[in-house]
Amino acid sequence: MRCRLAGLNTVLALLPISVLADSVLEGRVELPKSHSAPVMAKRYEIVTHSGVLSTQPPLAVVYLDGSFPKQTSPPTKQIVQKDLTFIPALLPVQVGTRVEFPNLDDTYHSIFSYSPAKRFDLGRYRPEERPIPSEIFDKAGLVTLRCDIHEHMRGLILVLNTPHFAMTDAEGRFRLGGLPSGHYTLKAWIDSKTTHEQLVELKRGETVRVDFP
Amino acid sequence: MKLLRALSFCLFVCAANAFEIDDVLDRLDNALTIAAFQDNLRARLSGTIDVELYHFQQPAPGLIDSNIDNLFNPRLTFFLDAQFGPHVYFFAQSRLDRGFDPSDHGAQIRLDEYALRVTPWEDGRFTLQVGKFATVVGNFVPRHLSWDNPFINAPLVYENITAISDKAAPASPQDFIRRFEAHAKYEFNPVIWGPSYASGVSVSGRVGQFDYAAEMKNSSLSSRPESWNVTAMGFDQPTFNARVGFRPSQAWNLGLSASDGAYLRREAAPTLPPGRDIDDYRQFVLGQDVSYALHHLQLWAEFYEARFEVPRVGDADTFACYFEVKYKFTPQFFAALRWNQQLFGTVPDGAGGRVRWGDDLGRVDAAIAYRFTTHTQLKLQYSFQHETTGPGDDNHLLAAQFTVRF
Repeated sequence: MRCRLAGLNTVLALLPISVLADSVLEGRVELPKSHSAPVMAKRYEIVTHSGVLSTQPPLAVVYLDGSFPKQTSPPTKQIVQKDLTFIPALLPVQVGTRVEFPNLDDTYHSIFSYSPAKRFDLGRYRPEERPIPSEIFDKAGLVTLRCDIHEHMRGLILVLNTPHFAMTDAEGRFRLGGLPSGHYTLKAWIDSKTTHEQLVELKRGETVRVDFP
Repeated sequence: MKLLRALSFCLFVCAANAFEIDDVLDRLDNALTIAAFQDNLRARLSGTIDVELYHFQQPAPGLIDSNIDNLFNPRLTFFLDAQFGPHVYFFAQSRLDRGFDPSDHGAQIRLDEYALRVTPWEDGRFTLQVGKFATVVGNFVPRHLSWDNPFINAPLVYENITAISDKAAPASPQDFIRRFEAHAKYEFNPVIWGPSYASGVSVSGRVGQFDYAAEMKNSSLSSRPESWNVTAMGFDQPTFNARVGFRPSQAWNLGLSASDGAYLRREAAPTLPPGRDIDDYRQFVLGQDVSYALHHLQLWAEFYEARFEVPRVGDADTFACYFEVKYKFTPQFFAALRWNQQLFGTVPDGAGGRVRWGDDLGRVDAAIAYRFTTHTQLKLQYSFQHETTGPGDDNHLLAAQFTVRF
């Protein structure tokens, strides 16, 4: 009998959460009007390329706050350095995720962070560096990425305790699917100083709409 | 003592509130960056605040111009970087401090750099730049600012005063040797004065693994900051500088530099031998540089052979070199070590013999640095300088530099 129950537990544990949780949250976040148009300091570079750095529209991260099981097999995500820019400029990840930082430019980058949630320095590395330099983000919080060589480069990793998060599009729209039923706090992270939140009740099979002013 | 207490308080605040300070300065950075015309015009105002403390023996080493042994040297620097469309870039640097080099003088404000750069092609094959800007010679320039320089001072060749004077020609070979007075250092010149922000025009670019740069400037590499302004020195006696670089991989960068130009200022003309002009006395420099970088290690070395044509004396030759290493032990802590050497040739002594025109010397610089935040940094440096010829004088220097970058 005990053996059968253990077998049932194993089967339940292997079922994807979305089978048991199929609520949907969608809505819109009012995004800031400003956008980042960085300027590169080329004062002492003998070789410079023409062109301008790409602009970054403001985006938000919407996530369901609560107590959720930790990841059993943490995924690996990437933030690439291309055209002297972090792509994506904002990456939400769950605690325990490994993030790789491939260099796709034909010059050195030197990625580092002094953020309390993750302090690291990858040093100077080439485009062909193998294995691709990476870090595991094992503490929730905001991590600001910078390059020691290219002062204008800035990227953000928002490390979350929840597996239920989504980025908005440039219009602020978001959709979170496969959510478990229950009472939760839905948060919309705008920037390091601005996070909106609303209480939500999710029922099985329902779609709930939430707009953040 | 009050100053030390104030500095200690600053460091404590930085350490305790690092994340908040970073956030505030990031927001200031965003506020000081503007864009217009569908982002085709972008401009960013940034800067550094440097607070430096020096303790040294007299005569003060390098280009430090102070008769007191403990020197407080604050500096506020502003940078403007502007991009007009994809091809045109402008930058400027202005400083408020006690002089271009550390000194006990009063405050002064200067426009040290301004330049307009045109880059017609995307692949970087050609760039044209006009204005007042750092020399293309060597590999020190890209790290000469306080935030990027592992040390507080410059390598010896960029700041060691020699018997060469751009203000007056020597009356005789004996005068050339004997007139050098270390305490009157601002009357004399080093081989290369700092990053040499002289005025002029440059072309540069990259072809495959090679890069090139050539410039025509209004004054020589050894010229003093007052000579760099185009209003102070025109282009009557231009200096030509060039560098060819070879980059076999991202890790290595090798370069050859050369410079040729008249080094005397106009006020030296009346002191020249009859019938001679300041253009007859030139400074020639040959330079070799190498750098290597991988992960947390960076290495640099430069070698310079310089010749000054000295009125009534002849050719005065000198050789200078340095080796520099920086290693980042943790994300926020790094250390650096530099060995500098300068050797002097001989010149006729006027009595049928020859005499060395300067005392050979070596200097060891050791520095440690800690970045409290991405905007605040503290460096501590010790330097030991030793003359290996002549009286064999030693000089010890202790320095601290706290930098806020915004």
